[in-house]
Amino acid sequence: MANAPQGRGGAPQQPPVDPKYNWPSTPKTVVGTRVKRLDGPDKVSGRAKYTFDVTRPGMLYARVVRSPYPHARVVSVDLSPAERVPGFKTALIHRDLKDPKTAVVMYQGDEVAAVVADTEEHAIDAARAVKVEYEPMPAVISVDSALAGRAPEVFPPGNVRPGQTAQNGDLDAGFKAAAFTLEQTYSTHVITHVCMESHGTVCEWDGDKLTAWVSTQGVNSARDNLASGLNIPQANVRVICQYMGGGFGSKLQLGPEGLICARLAKQAGAPVKLMLDRKEEHLVTGNRPSAAAKIKAGVSADGLITAFDAESWGTGGAGAGAGFPLPYIYQMPNRRRAHKDVFINTGNQRPMRAPGHPQGSFITEIMMDELADLVKMDPVEFRIKNLQPDAPNAMHLSYLREGAEAFGWSKRHATGDTTPGSIKTGMGCAICTWGGGGRGPSLAHCEVASDGSVVMRLGSQDIGTGQRTLVAMVTADALGLQPSQVTPEIGDTQYGVSGGSGGSTTAASTSPGIRIAALKALEALKEKVAPALGTTADTLVASGGRIHVKDTPSKGLSWADACKHIGPQPITTEADWQPGMTSATTSGAQFAEAKVDIKTGIVHVTRVLAIQDCGLVLNQLTAESQCYGGVIGSLNFALFEDRILDRRTGQMVNPNMEWYLLAGMSDVPQIEIRLKNMPERGVVGIGEPPTVPTAAAVALAVRNAIGVSVRSLPLTPAKILQTLQSNQQKA
Amino acid sequence: MPRRKDEPGFSRRSFLKTVGASSVAAGVLAKAPAVDAQGPAVVGPGAVPITLNVNGKSLRLQIEPRVTLLDALRMRADLTGNKRGCDRGACGACTMIVDGRTVYACSTLAIECQGKKIRTVDGLATGGKLHPVQQAFCDKDALMCGFCTPGFVMASVGLLEKNPNATPEQIKKGLDGNICRCGTFSRVFEAVASLSARGTQSASKGDELPDMLESNAQMDEGVRRG
Repeated sequence: MANAPQGRGGAPQQPPVDPKYNWPSTPKTVVGTRVKRLDGPDKVSGRAKYTFDVTRPGMLYARVVRSPYPHARVVSVDLSPAERVPGFKTALIHRDLKDPKTAVVMYQGDEVAAVVADTEEHAIDAARAVKVEYEPMPAVISVDSALAGRAPEVFPPGNVRPGQTAQNGDLDAGFKAAAFTLEQTYSTHVITHVCMESHGTVCEWDGDKLTAWVSTQGVNSARDNLASGLNIPQANVRVICQYMGGGFGSKLQLGPEGLICARLAKQAGAPVKLMLDRKEEHLVTGNRPSAAAKIKAGVSADGLITAFDAESWGTGGAGAGAGFPLPYIYQMPNRRRAHKDVFINTGNQRPMRAPGHPQGSFITEIMMDELADLVKMDPVEFRIKNLQPDAPNAMHLSYLREGAEAFGWSKRHATGDTTPGSIKTGMGCAICTWGGGGRGPSLAHCEVASDGSVVMRLGSQDIGTGQRTLVAMVTADALGLQPSQVTPEIGDTQYGVSGGSGGSTTAASTSPGIRIAALKALEALKEKVAPALGTTADTLVASGGRIHVKDTPSKGLSWADACKHIGPQPITTEADWQPGMTSATTSGAQFAEAKVDIKTGIVHVTRVLAIQDCGLVLNQLTAESQCYGGVIGSLNFALFEDRILDRRTGQMVNPNMEWYLLAGMSDVPQIEIRLKNMPERGVVGIGEPPTVPTAAAVALAVRNAIGVSVRSLPLTPAKILQTLQSNQQKA
Repeated sequence: MPRRKDEPGFSRRSFLKTVGASSVAAGVLAKAPAVDAQGPAVVGPGAVPITLNVNGKSLRLQIEPRVTLLDALRMRADLTGNKRGCDRGACGACTMIVDGRTVYACSTLAIECQGKKIRTVDGLATGGKLHPVQQAFCDKDALMCGFCTPGFVMASVGLLEKNPNATPEQIKKGLDGNICRCGTFSRVFEAVASLSARGTQSASKGDELPDMLESNAQMDEGVRRG
């Protein structure tokens, strides 16, 4: 086969700068095992303090006054009625109304003013009392009308911004070589992050120094945002985030509410808490942009895609782009893709778990099955035939084969379940890729004291991935200890510089520094212990909670006794990320089985199989949890979530959690995770890739069941019935 | 018009006396006999004293009658274990057990809970020992960011206390009122199933519950969700 080389993903990385710090090749004691979260007991008992839970002496509560209009000029703001509300403390107007630019709000929820009161209830009262006079302006509400040129001009030089056109090969020749061509339009919708803990901050000033508890994916970037936004030195800002309730990309940067909170706290002369409510979350804290593509594709009689011509667009809101990869993964030598960003008057997008990939995956994979049907090929075989032969770490070929076997793909029927009755069953599959990988700076500080205590300190944060546990695991692994013997200290800018938790990079960026700092501390400890053991440091190893002569465990000391030789000054070491212990790019393949009731249009996903790699698996238990979470997140994208705008007012009609639908436990299928460990590649990252292909696999299972493509998400019952009906009419 | 604590009818004794009266109104009223032809007398909007029984302890608070049980405990008693996700009784992060029943504490007024036994996640572990449900969540990694977890834990405790032999379908149904955005459902299910005598029993093994898509109840549920 032409693409036989596919699957060489396990190629070893370049060695680390100093190979003695590399990951051990011998059997693992801690790294790679299943370690329960160290902070699990704190989380299940309610002891874990999230930003939402922080209470400071004399703390006041803030509330933001926001525009109800998608586009309007703020004529005036009268704070005086708010001042008469019981408990009122202070208020600010967020925009300069004399400046014609800043006086204009660009979307529903755009910040106008903010108030502070003694209780949250009073703050809500005061915010309601603020009198704002708006002059509503024409708004762009629908992407279609913007594309058709029927929308008012709101975003000069145009509501539609053409992006780059990418072209490869010879499109005309490609279409000439095609035995079949297909022309279709595919699209995905806008969804929002819906972090369970809203965005928010508690700010407390001590003179010109600010301490901010922020629900953030990056304590250091939050500090930078606060310092630059408030025009104060970074050294004057301390950001703390011990626990945070989900970010999914929306908490990588501090939003305007963070600066508003800091300013209000200064003005009030007291600590201020500002947590957004659910409606604000939907409106202003980011979203996954929509994506659409009108595609013409050609396929040869033997199943090679010969040509791919796509015109794509999407909206990321009032000025933000909506890029996504297209075509996704598969080899299409003759291709053209022209993209346009469409601006509408809604809150701006922010990165959301694998930005762009779920959209590119859905659009490409639905087309793949339609092409496979044209040439009457099995979808797995068709995919394998069109894989790129030499993509880096492309394991898709072997994962598709393994998955098909394990999932019972041979039992899959051709498109359209012909069994009688209204319940139709089908299967689908899709693949994914994601970069991940590590980078510096990510400084880890290790401290070993004479009482045997070990602290590993770094300015990273745990956004729910299990990072706190990883810090302890990697340290313990290097020192021959158990994770419970290590105190991981993260979530505070006082612990130094480390990156934000985004792009599936946290584990890969932080673990090399942690390991090296721990190993350096061990080297120092060995030097101190060696004389007592009548040997030299180079003969000593650390394992099983002891420091002993290699191959002679009896000739040694327990960790506690060894540390007694440290003396009054603890051993302190520091190390940064270094290349060679991490690499980039993951592969995955997923299979889904769904039942569809063609009388009601209701889809129930019954089974999902996810095969996924992430380089060296650090914690098998939490890495699997990431995969479960990714699959379920993508299921939500496929079936339930939808940001619905009123087409006249431009207001979101479901800014809550009862009409903005999310899966409950009954909606969750049986999920099997097959995590591939590739220690030779070093650490890569796992947060994002497993959330990419599920939506497409589910949509294809639905297609396989009902015999018709639903070419847009979400797969609501109404849409499925509509698709079935229009197909019947055509027939 | 705000009422002060020292105004007639707001002594703790007379307040407690009215608790347990048949109507909800009586529960929030200081002077139950004062109900006239115009309907029940209005309490608030200012702060009034209330007494709650939380995790076996008596808790006296001065709150406005509009304050929810969740906000009263979180913001006035620093019992921050239970969370607020949606504030509209949809996500379940606020789930508490009141008189043996799970409630959405974000959609329950604190003043209505006087005289009732309120249990929050903060009081679930006893003497430093985790409740078996909490332990199972830790063991199965049934949590990620952990923000929805207290609600899931309380919903699971409520479910298993009512039905220690919950079947897989009953577990799923029983926890359908809780939302997790990280996607821990599979492992929450495992954790709860491990504690139920019939939790790991497969639904096909002679269970009375029919196939999901053929059950009318499930279809109704699907329509509601869809």
